[in-house]
Amino acid sequence: MLHHFQYIPANPKKELILTRLGYKKNVTTFSTSDKTQLDAGIKEGLLLCAPQGIYGILDIISNNGTTIKFKNDIEINSINLAEFLKNSSRAVFMFATVGHQVCDRISSEISSGNPALGVILDSVASQTTDAAVAWISEFVDKSIKKSGQKLTVHRYSPGYGDLSLSVQKVIFNMLQLDKLGIKITDSFMLEPEKSVIAISGIESF
Amino acid sequence: MDKKQFLNLLNDKVIILDGATGTELQKRGLPKGVCPEKWVLENPDVLKDIQRRYIDSGSNVVLSCTFGGNGIKLDEFGLKDKVFEINKDLVALSKKIAGNDSLVAGDMAPTGLLIEPFGAMAFEDAVAIYKEQVRGLLAGGVDFFFIETMLDIQEARAALLAVKESCDLPVCVSMTYDKDMRTLTGTDPLTALITLQSMGADAVGCNCSVGPDGMLEIISMMSPYAKVPLFAKPNAGMPRLVDGNTVFDMSAQEFGSFAPRFIDAGVSILGGCCGTSPEYIKELSKETKTLKPLPRIKASFSAVSSSKKTVFIGNKNPVVIVGERINPTGKKKLQEDLKSGSTLEVRRLATEQVEKGAGILDVNAGMPGIDEKETMVKIVSLLSNMVDLPLCIDSSSPEVIEAALRLYPGRALINSISAEKIKIEKLLPIAAKYGAMFVLLPLSDEGVPKLASERCNIVQKVFEKAQSFGYEKCDIVVDGLVMTVSVDESAALETLGVIDWCTNTFGCNTIVGLSNVSFGLPERNWINSAFLAMSIGKGLTMAIANPSSDVIHNLKIASDVLMGKDRNSNNYINYFKNNASTKDTSPSNANQSDNQLSLEDKIFDAVVKGNSEEIISLINQSLDKGNKPGDIVDKCLIPGISEVGQLYDSKKYFLPQLIQGAEVMKKAFAHLEPMLVKSGETKSKAKVLLATVKGDIHDIGKNIVGLMLKNYGFEVYDLGKDVPSETIISKAVELNVDIIGLSALMTTTMVEMKTVIDQAKQADLKVKFMIGGAVIDEKYAVEIGADGYSRDAYEAVKLAQKLMGCN
Repeated sequence: MLHHFQYIPANPKKELILTRLGYKKNVTTFSTSDKTQLDAGIKEGLLLCAPQGIYGILDIISNNGTTIKFKNDIEINSINLAEFLKNSSRAVFMFATVGHQVCDRISSEISSGNPALGVILDSVASQTTDAAVAWISEFVDKSIKKSGQKLTVHRYSPGYGDLSLSVQKVIFNMLQLDKLGIKITDSFMLEPEKSVIAISGIESF
Repeated sequence: MDKKQFLNLLNDKVIILDGATGTELQKRGLPKGVCPEKWVLENPDVLKDIQRRYIDSGSNVVLSCTFGGNGIKLDEFGLKDKVFEINKDLVALSKKIAGNDSLVAGDMAPTGLLIEPFGAMAFEDAVAIYKEQVRGLLAGGVDFFFIETMLDIQEARAALLAVKESCDLPVCVSMTYDKDMRTLTGTDPLTALITLQSMGADAVGCNCSVGPDGMLEIISMMSPYAKVPLFAKPNAGMPRLVDGNTVFDMSAQEFGSFAPRFIDAGVSILGGCCGTSPEYIKELSKETKTLKPLPRIKASFSAVSSSKKTVFIGNKNPVVIVGERINPTGKKKLQEDLKSGSTLEVRRLATEQVEKGAGILDVNAGMPGIDEKETMVKIVSLLSNMVDLPLCIDSSSPEVIEAALRLYPGRALINSISAEKIKIEKLLPIAAKYGAMFVLLPLSDEGVPKLASERCNIVQKVFEKAQSFGYEKCDIVVDGLVMTVSVDESAALETLGVIDWCTNTFGCNTIVGLSNVSFGLPERNWINSAFLAMSIGKGLTMAIANPSSDVIHNLKIASDVLMGKDRNSNNYINYFKNNASTKDTSPSNANQSDNQLSLEDKIFDAVVKGNSEEIISLINQSLDKGNKPGDIVDKCLIPGISEVGQLYDSKKYFLPQLIQGAEVMKKAFAHLEPMLVKSGETKSKAKVLLATVKGDIHDIGKNIVGLMLKNYGFEVYDLGKDVPSETIISKAVELNVDIIGLSALMTTTMVEMKTVIDQAKQADLKVKFMIGGAVIDEKYAVEIGADGYSRDAYEAVKLAQKLMGCN
């Protein structure tokens, strides 16, 4: 069963947006007009983001330390992921995106508009995408607590360790992301660019 | 049993529900992975044993074994077509078991899917699914309905509506809260109560997730505002996993000992959830034998809610500003957006009004050229997710209001209902069905009465009609009807008269649409704010206004202090403390004022500060003084951008400031270029070819590198993204470039960089290679034979300069 969130109230932390832009606390300084522009840029970025997401949970049939077999005949080969899920009986596959509008605006500002605004929007979009997947994670964690279970503390994504990026395609199909208008390239990149796939394990307390 | 009988039952004694059924079924052999409903029908004696034990232990009500009896849950077992039959048979079974010893409540629970506006399932689909279950439960003969373990207020609404639209039997609704006192989708207990009791739930409560102590806290949050009986069905303490099994840590005796405290807290109905058994119910029954529910004193208050927040109106509460800006009238950008289907402007207006302190957001989608109903529903769905504030549904069309109210996951305010025949006949029943508060507009089919006394008569008449639908005075807000003083000098006084009467005679909340009073006059804000102050003095509780007006906002919070509605002046003090102006902390030439700087220093400063507005004028001034373009570049601009680079390197500047400096340089160079060429001061620039490699579509970082390189005097050619190696090599040859810069962001595409470098070697191309991207590092650069790696745009500039021997 897939659970789709039409709109995720993802609130990225301002300090993370700034850190992504190279801001260092107590070191970086800016003028009042810089701050006004920054705040306006962050506000605009948040408005342009339309966070939505989807998740599905699969039972883990077996995990031999190299290959993890899930229900629905899905198999993933990764020593690192197998280790990550070693105490898990199920896995949650999550996807979040902030949509096309902000990505298009970032491109146009950087290429021919206001590049300073463009990089601010880029940082906001990246952080909002992360915040959206964190929100899904928290939602799932709350919903499984009742049955004495919890999510792994961290999340794992294709491209981490030895988990091949090609697994994005497997998860893309499993979550039926094409129905949300998401695309995946031959190099397993998601479009729109500000999209992320993540995996968490479900463990018992 | 009708609703009156149900209430009478609760007046006489504490009603004891049953306890957990799922775990009792498991103890008696329910296998894992099978449909409990189907299994019970195949093993009726098991349910008989369980329910008889509960009844014999003191349960006055047993729940039908239909927790998973909705179509979505039954579909998991291929039983979607048997919903009616299964529910009917299970109720009939419980009725047979209970006989005359106990009532049977039809148990309904979550589908497991999220419903719009939060999730993908259509609200009407959810209502239909629950209606199907309700039909079966009714056919089985339930005495009333019990909707429980609801994790989402919208799903609870769907189930409640399904019952209300199918029959007149009483219905109890129970939500489940986590340790943060919120449901899964963020509703707090008070907000759930406000929404559900206004929608017609006959009792509201909570079950599961927490033990009795935690649940007492939840009940105490609800109790002061309960207009309906409350109930509680806690777990037997907290769960622990022991040898792979979930066990609960509270004994039956301890569980039962909480009963008197629940009664004192205002609960009339008690039961048990996970971990409980007949033993626990026996203890509850024993502890409540001599107790009676507290007499219900119906709370009198005014409140509206979203899915996440309750806003109180009137009494000692601050004046509520209803943000008026989501209204296409006179707003070209909003009109364009609504026509094109975009919601960007709605989101912008909503965010701004929330930031400026609006308590409620008015939503109006009335304009020609769009489907108002569809647009209103879209906006309501969006805002229900996006903001915490309750909404005011503003439309002249009853159909539009009904569509919005049906979907809205809270208790809305409607703007408005007047004495006009169509409004009374059509809107009052709709408002009552969904439990909405409404703005009462004292006008009729004959028009707007001039005098306050005439308006007050209309208020009385409309309220009498509203009373027949169950409305009380605390459920309405009278609009004083503000007419413009530039047309009628007494207009404001009449409105003030209405407000005064509502406050001191009739006894209800009041609202005004501020802007109307000053229409046609200059400097409208003064009239609006004076009128607001005077109205508040007469007892005004709400105002429809633009929250972005500092004058209006500040006057409102000052008035709250003066009217004793801001305890210890906290809101007022905090607002001005948080909105004190910030100091400029820029690393500027603070010791010298602008007037004392030389022209050269001003040009340098303009680059450092990213001042693109003045750079051209400063350059022109310098040229007018006889300075050469080349000298301006070498003595002012280049040092300026170098300073920016150093500030960035030392983290005193971050990326937007670096780019702003670069943009100033770009503007300056574009202005000076023709002059430099003419005066022969141009120097030949190193050429750089940039590309994101084949298969990769990320290019933001590369684009910023290109921008920076241009502004440091490089000639840059950008081939874009997903560029085949052959194209990169052929272009490099054609343009005779000095450096090729490659970008890749993925582990799957970075390998293409080596392909390009190898091809260049094969072609004997004498170029330098620099690479960058999130997954790239120095080690990889060395491995594939690149000449360098840069972490960011500024490092790319330094690397390019180093590769060309021109630091």
